[in-house]
Amino acid sequence: MTMRHDTQTEGGEVRPGETLLEIKHLTMDYQTKEGRVSAVKDVSLTLQRGSSLGLVGESGCGKTSVALTLLRLQASNADIVEGEILLGGLNLLDLSEEEMRKHRWADISMVFQGAMNAWNPVYRIGDQIREALDLHWPEKLTTAQVRQRIAELFELVGLPEEAMDRYPHEFSGGMRQRATIAMALSCNPQLIIADEPTTALDVIVQDQILKELKKIQTELGMSIIYISHDIAVIAQVTEHTGVMYAGKIVEYGSTEQIFHRPRHPYAWLLLSSTPSITGPRRKLAPLEGEPPNLMVPPSGCRFHPRCPFATEQCSNEEPPETDIGDGHMVACWNYEQVPVGISEIAAEEG
Amino acid sequence: MLKLFIFISKRSVQMLLLFVIFLTVLFFLLEAQPGDLSQQYIGNPDIPPEEKARLAARLGLDMPLFSRYLAYMKNFFTGNLGNSLSQYPTPVTKLIFDALPRTIVLFLSATLLAYYLGFVTGKVLAWRRGKMSEYLLTLGGVGLYTVFYPWFALLMIWTFGFTLSNVTGIRVFPINKFIDVSDWLGSPFTTNQVFLRMILVAVLSMLVAAVATVIAKQRLEIRQAIRVRNIAFLLGVVFPFIYFFFSAMGKYALDILHHTLLPVMTLALVAFAGIMLLTRSAMLETLREDYILTARAKGLPEKVIRDRHAARNALLPVVTSLVLALAFVIGGGIITETVFSWPGVGLLLYNAVILEDIPLAMGGLSVIAALALIGHLVADILYAYLDPRIRY
Amino acid sequence: MTERIDLEPEQSTGGPLVQEPLWRIRLRLARRSFGRNWKMFVANKIGLIGLGIIVLFALLGILHPILMSRVWDPAIYDPVQGYDAPVAEYTVVAEVQDPASEMDLATARLMQNPFVEEGDIVTIPQQPAPPSKGHWLGTDPLGRDILSQLMYSTRAAFAMGAIAAFMSVLIATTVGSVAAYYGGWIDNVLMRFADLILLVPLIPVLIVVGALFNLTLPLLGMLIGVLSGFGGTAIVLKSSALGVSVKPFVDAARVAGGSNRHIILRHIVPNVLPLSFLYMMFTVTEAIALEATLSFLGLMNVQMSWGIMIFTAHSQGYLLSGTHYWWLLFPAGLAVTMLAAAFFLVGRGMDEVINPRLRVR
Repeated sequence: MTMRHDTQTEGGEVRPGETLLEIKHLTMDYQTKEGRVSAVKDVSLTLQRGSSLGLVGESGCGKTSVALTLLRLQASNADIVEGEILLGGLNLLDLSEEEMRKHRWADISMVFQGAMNAWNPVYRIGDQIREALDLHWPEKLTTAQVRQRIAELFELVGLPEEAMDRYPHEFSGGMRQRATIAMALSCNPQLIIADEPTTALDVIVQDQILKELKKIQTELGMSIIYISHDIAVIAQVTEHTGVMYAGKIVEYGSTEQIFHRPRHPYAWLLLSSTPSITGPRRKLAPLEGEPPNLMVPPSGCRFHPRCPFATEQCSNEEPPETDIGDGHMVACWNYEQVPVGISEIAAEEG
Repeated sequence: MLKLFIFISKRSVQMLLLFVIFLTVLFFLLEAQPGDLSQQYIGNPDIPPEEKARLAARLGLDMPLFSRYLAYMKNFFTGNLGNSLSQYPTPVTKLIFDALPRTIVLFLSATLLAYYLGFVTGKVLAWRRGKMSEYLLTLGGVGLYTVFYPWFALLMIWTFGFTLSNVTGIRVFPINKFIDVSDWLGSPFTTNQVFLRMILVAVLSMLVAAVATVIAKQRLEIRQAIRVRNIAFLLGVVFPFIYFFFSAMGKYALDILHHTLLPVMTLALVAFAGIMLLTRSAMLETLREDYILTARAKGLPEKVIRDRHAARNALLPVVTSLVLALAFVIGGGIITETVFSWPGVGLLLYNAVILEDIPLAMGGLSVIAALALIGHLVADILYAYLDPRIRY
Repeated sequence: MTERIDLEPEQSTGGPLVQEPLWRIRLRLARRSFGRNWKMFVANKIGLIGLGIIVLFALLGILHPILMSRVWDPAIYDPVQGYDAPVAEYTVVAEVQDPASEMDLATARLMQNPFVEEGDIVTIPQQPAPPSKGHWLGTDPLGRDILSQLMYSTRAAFAMGAIAAFMSVLIATTVGSVAAYYGGWIDNVLMRFADLILLVPLIPVLIVVGALFNLTLPLLGMLIGVLSGFGGTAIVLKSSALGVSVKPFVDAARVAGGSNRHIILRHIVPNVLPLSFLYMMFTVTEAIALEATLSFLGLMNVQMSWGIMIFTAHSQGYLLSGTHYWWLLFPAGLAVTMLAAAFFLVGRGMDEVINPRLRVR
């Protein structure tokens, strides 16, 4: 008996290249005691079936807010001002809570931060995965079938089968993260959101897990959205990358385009401030200043107070998203001034 | 399983050690009493000196301090607590053991009731954060938690024992005491015979229900198991009533039950408030945990998240707090017994203190302390059972 | 390495950088942080309500000696020895129609004298008497003014609460800091001792202590303070001090050659003190309730307190009169409850300020 099951079959064959997820003009505020915080502003993204997308930015830039909104798990004080989240043409924001529940994990699942306590300490790992299977697997599974399915998943992520009877505290950080991935895969979702999947793990384990995730993604033909502050992680595993700053996507393109030649000053500075293990030795350019207070976001371009290329125009008018060829989008008035190379010039700047 | 066993034995030995330390402190407290204990017995100036010496020797007061301490300990652990002075010559042990079941039932039923209701209410309260009902119940909880307990008990007697009976014309709750003596005239049973039978029947039927539930959980599916559990516990509650309906003791058992309700309710109500507030804050902490977000992401229904994930973890600090709740229930229990004239160990202790019956007071205090320690031991074991991080 | 690192360049150029004396800087910082915390405390409302009640009771307590020396006649209003019984007149009749103004012959003969006849008017002193102009809260079964008793007892409650609070802060802060800083066997002994105290049921022990010793207010306050200081509060403060003692500035102080005593007093204690004050509030709550309980049981050597007021009403059998004699039971019961609750509420309010976990994001 094979336990493989495709939720996609109802919608016909899985066709790579077909649009799976479309986020249209998502704008979200947080209602706090002090006032409204504009956490996500006019974010639009498209994700093809079987492809991977990275969202990168400093902490607090809204990337996790976007991720949680995809599952409709945004904080209770969040207010979605406008926008649509279309999963296979279905607007998730229109669904009732009860309907949405059925889509969670079955269609979109999540790999939580390694540093997070994603596991309930009082239940066995296997039982916690079983919860998802009992809820979302199309047929009712017997205990033996459940154990077989979990064993399959554990094999996929490189965990021993008997680990399913253990408690979370008996696992190492890396094992726990593998189990988290296994749980995310359990119901064959169409989309996995990996929020800082390797943060808090040591570099070697980090590398292993990223490689495995990538392998699994290609093997099973799933789509993954990676969310990280670490551009090295994004560069390693994604096909497309969106750079977020202060709740907005400032640059979007293929990962190669962005890492080869960032066009937005923020992306350029972000890359320049990251050490490269393989590249030439260089001084790191620090990113000056602090992320803006989103209660009163800066006028015009949200990055202009920290931008080395800022002009009068930047502080007055919001820059439009410009397609500079091959789907490479950038929202900046002066993207042409951003230098080509990273290292040397950045070193001078720093 | 072995580790759990080792854990239990270790804790038991620790508790025993603590008890010995407690008895030691008690002994020296007695010695440090102003006016010297011996003077109370042989201080009378009319007693001639040679008679005094004879008396002192008979009472062991001529022995050195340490030998007296050893004798005291030996006597205690061989069950010899001396004779009561106020009810001479009844041995203290007999008085205490007669009263003990009543105290245990009062403490235990109030604790269980308070824990069950407090946990369920606190859990729901945290889930309804920000609603008016949450606000009002929390406020009421704080009020009950800080209310001056003896006063509250008096108000309860007045409201439910007195006013309610006056208004309805039926004696809904008796005002105090353990039985109506007039109903027991010519009874073939003693109160303790009936009471012990009641405890036995209740405990047995609950035990059967619990065993049935455990078996059902292993053999059956979760939904069926829950149904079996509900039916089993319902029968567990109903069965004692059926038993006593047909028993010759029925009439007397009903009288005891009638007198038990109000004190248990009063004590439980105050303990309930503390547990409810604690569960609420523990739940609010737990709800911030990441695994709650995981559970939501998995698409679990809200009720399952609340009960299976949040409440299960919030239970841990609540069980830990049994340490504090126990002090509350024991202190409150003694006041309850005093105010309701409920003839338990607490009332015994209080009367002994008022009548300066030192052996009885010491015995009562030791037994209450032993009860507290046993309660802690149970809480520890329960915690180890509930938290896998301790168990292994 | 050719460059020499100058650690204190300011000193070489002469004079400290900041001219302001240190104490004034400290004061300013303290005032600023107090202002910030006060704002949080006020925003919470719970604490503010508690504080309001405490101030109200404090005023009552302060007012009492002034009233006694200036306004009230001690012979009437003294909380313990005062006596006043307003008289009510009754007409002696055969059949009582109106119990407020009539009395049957047998009762009248019993209460007045055996020579009373029907139709006479008898005057009977009222004790307890209901609230009147002279006695706002009426009098107790012994003819003493309830309001005066209530106000007098407030002072006792505060004094005892203060003693208990002071003792518990002093001991718990010391025990907690020392246990956390030294660790090892010192920590072990202190914490096991704390466990022991926590395990012992307090009320029965105090009942027996009350029987063996002459339990006065200061003694009880001290006892509660010591038990709380070595017991529960010490455990909480130790875990807080443990968090402080691993902070870099403690290491820095140690490296800089600070003595153990200096580090504990200057670095650890100031950091656990806020939490210590928080638990002090709960100690006061406990102390007030315990004192009232023990007085209620008649085990305290004290002339008047809220507990004794309730005890008097209860022991004279006025309980089942219910609301008819409300002034006997309610003022004292409410006073204990409200003052205990007030300290508890202040504690909760402080908790929200001190405990960042509880803050609303």
